[in-house]
Amino acid sequence: MIEATQTALTPSEVTKIMSTEALAEYRQKLQAQYDPNAPMIYVCCGTGCQAAGSVDVVEKFREILVGSAWDGKVVPMIKPTGCHGFCSRGPLVIIEPQDIFYQRVTVNDVQEIVEKTVLNNELIKRLQYKSAGAKESITKASEIPYYAKQTRLVLKNIGRVNPTEIGDSIIRNGYAALAKALTQMTPQQVIDEVSSSKLRGRGGAGFPTGLKWESCAKQEGLRYVICNADEGDPGAFMDRSLLEGDPHSVLEGMAICAYAVGSHRGYMYVRAEYPLAVKTLTTAIRQAEALGLLGKNIMGTGFDFEVTISTGAGAFICGESSALMASLEGKVGRPRPKYIRSVEKGFRDSPSNLNNVETYANIPSIIANGGNWYKSYGTERSSGTKVFALTGNVFNIGLVEVPMGISLMEIVFGIGGGVPNKRALKGVQTGGPSGGCIPIPHKIPDINVGYGKLAEVGSIMGSGGMIVMDEDTCMVEVARYFVNFLVEESCGQCTPCREGLTRMKEILDRITQGDGREGDIELLEEIGKFTNNFSLCGLGTSAANPVLSTIRYFREEYEAHIRDKKCPAGVCKKLFHYEIDPDICTGCGLCKSKCPVKAISGEKKKVHVIDQSLCMKCMECYKNCKFRSVKIM
Amino acid sequence: MRVLNIILNGKAVTAREGQTILELAQENGVFIPTLCHSPALEPAAMCRLCTVQVIEGGRAKFVTACNFPLRRDAEIRTDSPEVRHGRKLIIELLMARCPSSPELQRLAVEYEADLTRFSSLNDDCVVCGLCTRACEAVTGKTLSLAGRGTAIHVSTAFAKISDFCIGCGACVQICPVQKISMEDVDGERHILLHGKIVSQVKLPRCKSCGKYFGPVIDLEKVMDRMGEHLIPPPNADTCPECSRHNLAVKLGKRYFEQYGVFREEGQADAG
Ligand SMILES: Cc1cc2nc3c(=O)[nH]c(=O)nc-3n(C[C@H](O)[C@H](O)[C@H](O)COP(=O)(O)O)c2cc1C
Ligand code: SF4
Ligand code: FES
Repeated sequence: MIEATQTALTPSEVTKIMSTEALAEYRQKLQAQYDPNAPMIYVCCGTGCQAAGSVDVVEKFREILVGSAWDGKVVPMIKPTGCHGFCSRGPLVIIEPQDIFYQRVTVNDVQEIVEKTVLNNELIKRLQYKSAGAKESITKASEIPYYAKQTRLVLKNIGRVNPTEIGDSIIRNGYAALAKALTQMTPQQVIDEVSSSKLRGRGGAGFPTGLKWESCAKQEGLRYVICNADEGDPGAFMDRSLLEGDPHSVLEGMAICAYAVGSHRGYMYVRAEYPLAVKTLTTAIRQAEALGLLGKNIMGTGFDFEVTISTGAGAFICGESSALMASLEGKVGRPRPKYIRSVEKGFRDSPSNLNNVETYANIPSIIANGGNWYKSYGTERSSGTKVFALTGNVFNIGLVEVPMGISLMEIVFGIGGGVPNKRALKGVQTGGPSGGCIPIPHKIPDINVGYGKLAEVGSIMGSGGMIVMDEDTCMVEVARYFVNFLVEESCGQCTPCREGLTRMKEILDRITQGDGREGDIELLEEIGKFTNNFSLCGLGTSAANPVLSTIRYFREEYEAHIRDKKCPAGVCKKLFHYEIDPDICTGCGLCKSKCPVKAISGEKKKVHVIDQSLCMKCMECYKNCKFRSVKIM
Repeated sequence: MRVLNIILNGKAVTAREGQTILELAQENGVFIPTLCHSPALEPAAMCRLCTVQVIEGGRAKFVTACNFPLRRDAEIRTDSPEVRHGRKLIIELLMARCPSSPELQRLAVEYEADLTRFSSLNDDCVVCGLCTRACEAVTGKTLSLAGRGTAIHVSTAFAKISDFCIGCGACVQICPVQKISMEDVDGERHILLHGKIVSQVKLPRCKSCGKYFGPVIDLEKVMDRMGEHLIPPPNADTCPECSRHNLAVKLGKRYFEQYGVFREEGQADAG
């Protein structure tokens, strides 16, 4: 990770902030040193962009900029930031004050960017972003539809602060909400404000956060505040992005919670596969403690709150609240069979308030701006915004933060840029591995994304996974994929989940292999309802969702697999073959040149044919035919 | 203690606050099948066979009777069609693993389980966790559940022959499908999990009758706990039978000395 050297003040140079006024003064001092017109180069250093080489990009910028002669000009500052959420275009560079957006920047582009763009305001076309199908490239980050159509409340600092530099957060009002809570509000007032915001937990179940805090505050004795940063849903990375890009918002949210519920000890349970997040958090906690914003006697108010980081055991099930607490205690991460809530008896049998990363990260703005402000976003039952991890068959893959109640079609087309390769949209899977498939736009034209609406159509909000599926997606295979994931991740202790999922997987395996039997659909439904009702924990009680929702909306696809031994989407290899439609084929020969096993023959300008005995169904001809003459049969 | 008003299968009964549904049902003569429950151990609620429906505050839900504590007035249905159907599935799923268990066979008849729906997986274990919990209560370390998902299984640490086992046999006693066994061979007690030896405990030989008896470690533990205060201290080289006999002889002698009616007898049978 890159150490911060650019910002003027590092915590070691200042003494502890001993009052809330001192925090305000410190902020003003930092703001005074900051020239909004000075050139500033933001380089995304999230996990995705780092993997694509952004650390080298930062180093190159430093090499060129630091120590060069600037003829009276202001030296540009370089800021490595957390993940912007647009990883598929990384490494990303944004140049202020002009808000110039460059994508897929490599070390070799840096010299040119400095010479042309930073010094002479000249744009480099090849690095600019173009919307799908558009001719003109877009200059400003804020004009790219992907960003322009989002409402970034919780992600507001990401991409704008250096996460290893607490001063960056403080300039942008970091810890001001904590100061407000500690000096101007009683714990009950804090809880009331959170309740009035109608914020619901972002970790999956959507439990009202204010209500949870209220019940925890009522308990006696030692209490714990725990942050669930296990983020086990494959494909979801909003929590990682927050921890790596804006750790202080999460820490501040936890500290506010601790004050509200009367706790002095906090734990962050971070997924073991997130080393960068752990590192960034460690730095953030150290810096906040050095400044007196965490730890003993915070800002001289007498309030103590210490945070410890614990790395997860690397299992999906450890994200479940009781398994998480067992794991934190050093025991095997298995859900506990207790009908008692962790706000009453959780970690070490003490009252424990567990919230998700995104939930905590929403808290500072709610305290600063009020619950009514937060509630003005979103809908009556689902207030505020939610970050989704948009992925699958969609142009713009990445994190999107939108107000609750937004149209799903708007997310896919407006922000996501639609489905690539001229394919039609078949559905959207939401809620992670135990979510459901929503058949937009054909069977359900559109929905407004919120907790209630998603449940109504048989899916869940989950932690915000969102997979766009095009017409080439086989829904039986989708169900099989998720059940397979859950079988592996089930802790195995209770019969319905362990045995039921095993059998569902067995049945789905045989259906996709062409050995499906009459009655299999009904059997899947029967087992699915059973596992949903009889399992011990949330994994088992939601595990059948992908199966039940695909049966609900795509039953005919299951039937085609079982009765006709056909996979209409052309995915299950044993259940389809390709044929070239002689009425459409122009004999261009592209398929013939693409076929890796030379299964296609035909003379130029004459109809081509596929030799079925050679074809290995790799999809090359199907994907590449410009006239779509290759048909799934 | 607060008294709760409960409708149990349509009948009005009262319950103590905090009591489990299973306890209440037993008190009222209502039978709920259980597989992973033992009143002597902490409930683990793993088998889910005891699942019933509870209607509390207008909301119906499925809960496990063995560990659900009653906290407010409620209606309970222990035998509704939904409950029976779920139990039938549990039995069918477990029978595919443990077809030879008499307990499961009996339940299969009662719940009209269809044993043709799921192919046999012949795993032999129903993963009720009774042995591991019993073990935990005695030594704490020998048997535990290892692995995840379908791979979950009862095991000693690292699947090695355990050093912690005291040969008490609690696991053998408690296993509902009789897949753990115990053999005393050549002065050693063997615990076998699915026929495979998982622990070997040396047995002491009785200096009176020459028989091998209760494992040494067991007695050491007892002596540890009882300390010096126990008079006479348990004798690690005499089997309980001979100890009892020797004590009786001693007492008898004293009785004879007082009343003059004692017939000397040989030692206990060394068979
Ligand atoms: C199998 C399973 C996995 C879960 N994984 C996570 C996770 O990775 N992160 C998370 O925040 N919540 C996860 N949850 C939800 C938590 O149990 C819990 O509801 C949540 O952390 C509470 O925080 P919230 O109220 O802020 O959402 C999981 C739940 C289940 C059943
Ligand atoms: S539902 Fe699945 S994950 Fe949850 S306790 Fe049961 S076996 Fe474990
Ligand atoms: S007896 Fe209650 S779950 Fe097994």
